[in-house]
Amino acid sequence: MKLLRGVYEGPGSHGILRVSASLARVQAVLRASPEEGYFPALLGSRTKRMDPEPAPVSLSPIWDRGSLSGSSWAPGNLSQDLANTVRRHPEAETVVLARSETALLSGEELPELSIPGGEEEPPPKLVTFGWESPGLRETEAADLALAELVRAYAAPAERTEEPTVNIFGPPVFNPGAAAEVAEVERLLGLLGVGVNARVPLGARARDLEGLPRAWANVLLYREVGDGATLYLKSEFGTPRVTTPMVGAAGTGAVLRAVGELCSLDAQRVRRLVWSELADTARLPWYARLASPESIGGRRVAIFGDFTYAIGLGYTMAREVGLEVGPCGTYMEHLERDFLFHANTFTDDAFVTDDPEKVASRIESASPDLVVGTHLEREVAASLGVPFLPLLSPAASLPFVERPLMGYAGSGVLADALEDALRGVPREKSRETGDSGVPWTEGALEELEGVSAFLRGRSRRLAEQRAEELGSTEVTRRIFRESRS
Amino acid sequence: MTILNESGIPDALSPLYGVGSVCERLPYVLGVVAGTRSEAHLAQTLSGFPASPERAAGAGRLLFMILDPEEEPEGGDLATRVVGEAVKFRDAGAVLLFRSRSAELLGVDFDFETRLLERRLGVPVLTVDLFERERDPGSTGGPMGLSTDVEDRALAALVDLCPHRNLEERPGKEGTEKARGRLGGLLGRRRSLSLRRRGGRSAEPPGPDRRPVALLSLQASLGRAGRSLRELAADLERAGVQVAGGIPGPAAEEFPALGPGTVAAPLDPYLATAAGAARRRGAEVVETLMPIGVDGTARFIQDVAEAAGSDVRAGEMARARSVWESLGSLRSRIRGKRIFFTGDTGLEVPLARFLSDAGALVLEVGCPRLDRRFLAPELQVLGSGGVDVIESPEWREQLGRIDEARPDVVVAGPGLHVPLVARGHLCRPSLDFLGAGIHGYKGARRILELFARSLQRAEGLDAVEL
Repeated sequence: MKLLRGVYEGPGSHGILRVSASLARVQAVLRASPEEGYFPALLGSRTKRMDPEPAPVSLSPIWDRGSLSGSSWAPGNLSQDLANTVRRHPEAETVVLARSETALLSGEELPELSIPGGEEEPPPKLVTFGWESPGLRETEAADLALAELVRAYAAPAERTEEPTVNIFGPPVFNPGAAAEVAEVERLLGLLGVGVNARVPLGARARDLEGLPRAWANVLLYREVGDGATLYLKSEFGTPRVTTPMVGAAGTGAVLRAVGELCSLDAQRVRRLVWSELADTARLPWYARLASPESIGGRRVAIFGDFTYAIGLGYTMAREVGLEVGPCGTYMEHLERDFLFHANTFTDDAFVTDDPEKVASRIESASPDLVVGTHLEREVAASLGVPFLPLLSPAASLPFVERPLMGYAGSGVLADALEDALRGVPREKSRETGDSGVPWTEGALEELEGVSAFLRGRSRRLAEQRAEELGSTEVTRRIFRESRS
Repeated sequence: MTILNESGIPDALSPLYGVGSVCERLPYVLGVVAGTRSEAHLAQTLSGFPASPERAAGAGRLLFMILDPEEEPEGGDLATRVVGEAVKFRDAGAVLLFRSRSAELLGVDFDFETRLLERRLGVPVLTVDLFERERDPGSTGGPMGLSTDVEDRALAALVDLCPHRNLEERPGKEGTEKARGRLGGLLGRRRSLSLRRRGGRSAEPPGPDRRPVALLSLQASLGRAGRSLRELAADLERAGVQVAGGIPGPAAEEFPALGPGTVAAPLDPYLATAAGAARRRGAEVVETLMPIGVDGTARFIQDVAEAAGSDVRAGEMARARSVWESLGSLRSRIRGKRIFFTGDTGLEVPLARFLSDAGALVLEVGCPRLDRRFLAPELQVLGSGGVDVIESPEWREQLGRIDEARPDVVVAGPGLHVPLVARGHLCRPSLDFLGAGIHGYKGARRILELFARSLQRAEGLDAVEL
């Protein structure tokens, strides 16, 4: 039992729905209690996608049909609901069944189901997940679901004649998911490497079938895709590239690895890297241009998912020369890997899914910049430092996606950093720590009672109030006054 | 009028949306959602994200108790953890404990936790179900509820904060207060204050035949939309009604008295459960039209006045007529417009009744669930206007009907909104009407303005050559 102020990850069924909604011609049926139907609303309002088709998710509600059962068409009977979904969506190639936590807790078993075929068309394939359990979280379930779908379709095939790769990118709801894949595809194109499939965004069943044709798998977002690419490696021997493609260094490393796996001329890869560094990548240029004073000693706190937290942490520490303070992830199932990577650039790596703990970690490091998920916005605002919402989960997605990966992404990062760091004078950024005004024991006790989210703001307000009153210290009374 | 049951899955927002909106609206409430990650994720995601520090302060009064599905919950664990965290919410005057189906499946003993929590915090702890425990026999439809269901149930729970009509009549009250004081509740100081206030209120007896009226509505009572409750209360007072206040009140200890000899008037069509709770307290619940639209407001004021023991028949009709006339130019802007309600919050029924009265052509009113008994007066009036009501509509079928009929405005549920706009329909999200101050005479104007603005903006955008 945990008492939290918010959650970074949803339940396993949410992860499954994210993967299935990312793919094309896949309909998902969510077996859940009626109040758990939410995905269409979320997909529309959050992604703002200009799509005349509603979300490819139907609800099969668990409820007491009472007198209605038998005599009525009321939804609630799983096999009937599946059949209706197939009937209403003749274009669907795959039907995925996800069970919500409540469904799993109330003992909903996987039914023995088959989908009747049409006259000419073969019936869509039904994919169910026997590993679902109520404790499983969004990201891990998404990874497992993608692996399961790849397993269901991937068939042995000859390698393509010319070198090609599969791109495993982030699923829907990741800010910039499509832009990342597009940027990587652009770079691969310049190398003369084709793209065999893009997974999961926009992939169809036949793309999954043909995955083994690629020479290599480029895993952009290992949170969702690790399992699938490991399967392809063990089953079909497809090698994979897993370096986070963030920053100029990371991007160069990925391109060199792809060049090797695709037996490209090393000279050619080097030429591309040089020309991109000159024409597109702006982060190294920003780092050269900025004065040591504006960068040096500035501390960044980073919190979010795995790939971006590691990639951004490494890039900011090495390529930009910022001091990376706390760097953490909420993906507890990747704890060991995360700490292994993060320890190469910070002494303050951590793993937790409690926003309050994240907040107090960030607060005590008094950073000059916070890079995080939408749940860290409050801490940054309370400390009065700039905030970059670059990591997933994001409260809302932009109309125009911009990449953070590849060379173009490094330019986006340079702009973001410059905007964030320009406005803050150095002196001010440290002010929130131990400023000149001393606090009495009583006042500090009161401060402890304030949630870590708001502690920075409360501290500032109290010190202001003390100054207004001409007091030499912050007392319990002054603190209370400042909060009323 | 025909009422057709389509036996589908309607596009209604999950009622868990209400968890965030209730806690945001009631600054004195600490909300605790007890469930699994699923409920926490839903409540957090759907209640909108903190947009500003001010907003976050309200949204921050929500805690998620996430149970481990592999572990049997220990008795008292929930209460203990909430108590530990509650020091950060010193000004909380009540705790709303949202109870999920999964928490019950995992075996949390809510009665025990609630009692323990109440004793240790010294403030009322009210439980609210996140799911529909049992279907009211008076309501029909499919498995899905309205997006406002949690709001309705929360309001029903909040009725418990109303003092009984006379404190003296409530045995054991003194003892409880003492016990609370001894255990040093969160509200030690404010409690005594509130007792004085309550005393003050009950010391002023209402007239011999006149009975005080409490207005039930979350959306109308607080925040920016609070104006519509104030306006309505002023109109009622002009009609000679003694308005005791709104439920929920502005603070935990400022709820109006409720019990035998008082009158409760629900302002929203989805408040069947809350109305039931008021009735169980012994209050008389007025069955009339909702105070939405001109005719609805006039009938509401008349019937409430009658129930409260004052009579204003003639005066109110004259008032309604003059309001109706003053809306002439707005009415002409929506006259003949074809409007489609996909159905989401439950506000659709009175809105459709008012709009068709004002000259619009309502093509369909979707009702995820229909409380026929509670809405009987509404349905009677709507029926005479010849509007089609679809119970438990299937949203895919609605999509087809909308494409075919091409209405001028679609009041759309949250999942259909974006696809419909992408298909070229003019849409207004159903949630826009919650908290927009739509009650009373001035609210009637706001409703018309809302539609007129949408139409005008669409015309303006269409006129641009791209």
